[in-house]
Amino acid sequence: MSVNVSVRLGRSGSEVLGLPISALLGESVAHRLAAVLPLVPETVRQLGVLDVGGGPWAGVVHSADGLLILELEEVGRNESGSADRVYPELQPVVQELEAAVDAADVSAIVAREVRRISGFDRVLIYRFDEVWNGTVIAEARNERLPSYLDLRFPASDVPAQARELYRLNRLRLIPNAAYDPVPLLPSDNPLTGRPLDLSLSTLRSVSPVHVEYMKNMETPASMSISIVQDGRLWGLISCHHAEPRHVSPNIRVTCDFLGQIAAMQLGAKVRMAEAAQRVERQAIQARLLTHMAAVERFTDGLADQPEDLLALTQAAGAAIVTEETIYRVGTTPSEGTIRNLIGWLDEAQPHDEVFATEALGTVYTGADDLVATGSGVIAISISQIHRSYILWFRPEVERTVRWGGDPRKPVSGGSNDLRLHPRKSFETWKETVRLHAAPWSDAEVAAAASLRSAIISIVMRRAEELAELTQELQRSNKELEAFSYSVSHDLRAPFRHIVGYAELLKSTAGDTLDVRSHRYVETIIESALSAGKLVDDLLSFSQMGRTTLMPMGVDMNRLLDEVLRMLRPEMEGRQIAWTISRELAPAWGDPSMLRQVVQNLLSNALKYTRGEDGVRISVWSEQRPKETVYRVSDNGVGFEMAYVDKLFGVFQRLHRIEEFEGTGIGLANVRRIVERHGGWVHAEGAVGQGAVFSFGLPVRPGTEA
Amino acid sequence: MTGLAPILLVEDNPKDLELTLEALERSQLANQVVTARDGAEALAWLLREGEHEQRPGGDPAVVLLDLKLPKIDGLEVLERIKKDESLRHVPVVMLTASREERDLIRSYALGVNAFVVKPVAFDQFFKAIQELGMFWAILNEPHPPRPRGQPMTVIKA
Repeated sequence: MSVNVSVRLGRSGSEVLGLPISALLGESVAHRLAAVLPLVPETVRQLGVLDVGGGPWAGVVHSADGLLILELEEVGRNESGSADRVYPELQPVVQELEAAVDAADVSAIVAREVRRISGFDRVLIYRFDEVWNGTVIAEARNERLPSYLDLRFPASDVPAQARELYRLNRLRLIPNAAYDPVPLLPSDNPLTGRPLDLSLSTLRSVSPVHVEYMKNMETPASMSISIVQDGRLWGLISCHHAEPRHVSPNIRVTCDFLGQIAAMQLGAKVRMAEAAQRVERQAIQARLLTHMAAVERFTDGLADQPEDLLALTQAAGAAIVTEETIYRVGTTPSEGTIRNLIGWLDEAQPHDEVFATEALGTVYTGADDLVATGSGVIAISISQIHRSYILWFRPEVERTVRWGGDPRKPVSGGSNDLRLHPRKSFETWKETVRLHAAPWSDAEVAAAASLRSAIISIVMRRAEELAELTQELQRSNKELEAFSYSVSHDLRAPFRHIVGYAELLKSTAGDTLDVRSHRYVETIIESALSAGKLVDDLLSFSQMGRTTLMPMGVDMNRLLDEVLRMLRPEMEGRQIAWTISRELAPAWGDPSMLRQVVQNLLSNALKYTRGEDGVRISVWSEQRPKETVYRVSDNGVGFEMAYVDKLFGVFQRLHRIEEFEGTGIGLANVRRIVERHGGWVHAEGAVGQGAVFSFGLPVRPGTEA
Repeated sequence: MTGLAPILLVEDNPKDLELTLEALERSQLANQVVTARDGAEALAWLLREGEHEQRPGGDPAVVLLDLKLPKIDGLEVLERIKKDESLRHVPVVMLTASREERDLIRSYALGVNAFVVKPVAFDQFFKAIQELGMFWAILNEPHPPRPRGQPMTVIKA
């Protein structure tokens, strides 16, 4: 019995103790009690308004320490609420809550409605995270109390014991923090000899710590309602008033009811939001995959979709890291910092799992530069061979908080010195989350993992396709090789035989042949020879595409000398003015192939100047930073620029065969050789004025100027 | 018998055989020419195996070896000759229809003494055979060319 019971009933304590309830409070109260008794043991039961001594009293009963504890609170006559008064108040709210789109919306409505019903100056909705740190996610207030919206408080502010209490006993009211505590009589539980466990009591005193906290907040009156979802304390509806304030039990019940509706709605909204996010994430991943599959390098596909890449894990920044490049999106650490991080990940972390941390600094010593942008990191390795990664970053969470009462701003007044104050809570919270980013949810980590496996399957598929293609190429290359090998052996032979037997015929029957027959034999020989030459040229052209390049430094002056020596028969009896640079730049290439190029160009120059007067042929070179260019010019018959594209094609001829002999393979061979060296060929000319042929060869790799 | 070591000509194609013999004939070499039509026959003759067990004469002055041959191809014949203690000193000239690089490389790796791509033009072919014959057959066994009008002896292996 609290001491004030005897005061109210006008009897002394010793008179009251030992009396049956019926004798003390009347038969009707005793009956109500008896009716709820079987339901009492576990929870707190509301008894509704009881008539005690001719006045209305709200009764609450629960059991503790083997005792039944009955709490009675006087209610004003016009406050005696009942369902028919509460319902009209709540019905539109319930509808509004149903229509709310998300948890934030629900919280805002509940804060507003609790404030409207209870009349508190400020109503806050706190939400606990997985590790019981709290955030004020909604607020309804007037100007009498400051805003705490977005305030963070550490788990230590509401310790586990208190949370358990809040879970079981959903509503607490402190009408005036400056109240005088009323002692119990007797002070100890007579059954246990120890102080009575008043955990579930509604009217009990609160802890001096809490009183101090309220005093420091300058809120003498407070009420808090637990939002319990699926048996877990989801959050609190916390009401404060600048002055002492009593709230009648029926209003409290109404607010509690609102809290429970809110809990159900929040559960539904959270589940809905999760489902929606799951769907959205799948859509994002599908979009990313589509883009990755459409481009040659899948990393380009990712880089094309920066928003989706970030949204996949709700990150503030992301980076696509390959051996050569780092592509960054959003807010990320610098490239150098990322490279260092990759080095560490590559060394210290398994490659086939998702690396995810909300506090990189706790595992990685080089994290100092990353705090601001990358306290939280998800990393996936996307290649077994190369250091290729995709990273997502989240900044230190403190940096993302916008609290009106931000302690980083200078404040007037001495509230910063108070031991217990929301500012201190914020400070403490900041300490606990220092170097931490907002944690990655399981779904976000799973999304990264799923992207990784998608990428790997893309890469694997590419590799398989490539292997297949290579195999096919090898096969067709082999076939081609076998074909050309047999052509080279078998196709040449008949021409050789034709020429051979025609020659034999000529020598054995030459004397008896008339002039015409003689010409026939000559034509047979000539045709077979040119067919043989064609086969030889074709074979060497096909060989050029197959044989391996053996690049080395080539002295082009010497090479040119050799070629000129070889071509001497073609120059016999001709007057040619040569202008040959004695300082031709050295080339990087396969010497025997380059010899063919030079020989072809020079022999063309000789061929197409034949029969002309004042023939001039020049050879010179030009050293550029990344390539060496060689040119051969002549003042021969030239060609029409309109046909320049045909010049380098196989079997393309710009002149009739009786004008200039040739198989039409020479320049095709030149182009093929030069292009196999990674270079280019070019021709310029005008009819009757000659031609300039140029080719450029890349300088030796690594020696680019 | 002239006492000169013979030339072993290994050639499967009858036209090539005839043209080569004609070229050799025109070269006025005194050497006897032994012809073999595939690699197995050539090896049997060289190694005195089977029906050639009792063949007269010693090793040839030179083997003119076609590359593509039935049964045992030219490269393998070359390999067997160059790996045989008693035969490896016999000069082998590859006479081939093509200038395939890999054949060239392989032949030299196996120890061929010369590699000649049969030219399409007969005069060149003739010249090549003549030079080959002169070089390998004459320098190995210096002997005045046999007088004109005397037919070259050709026997089948």
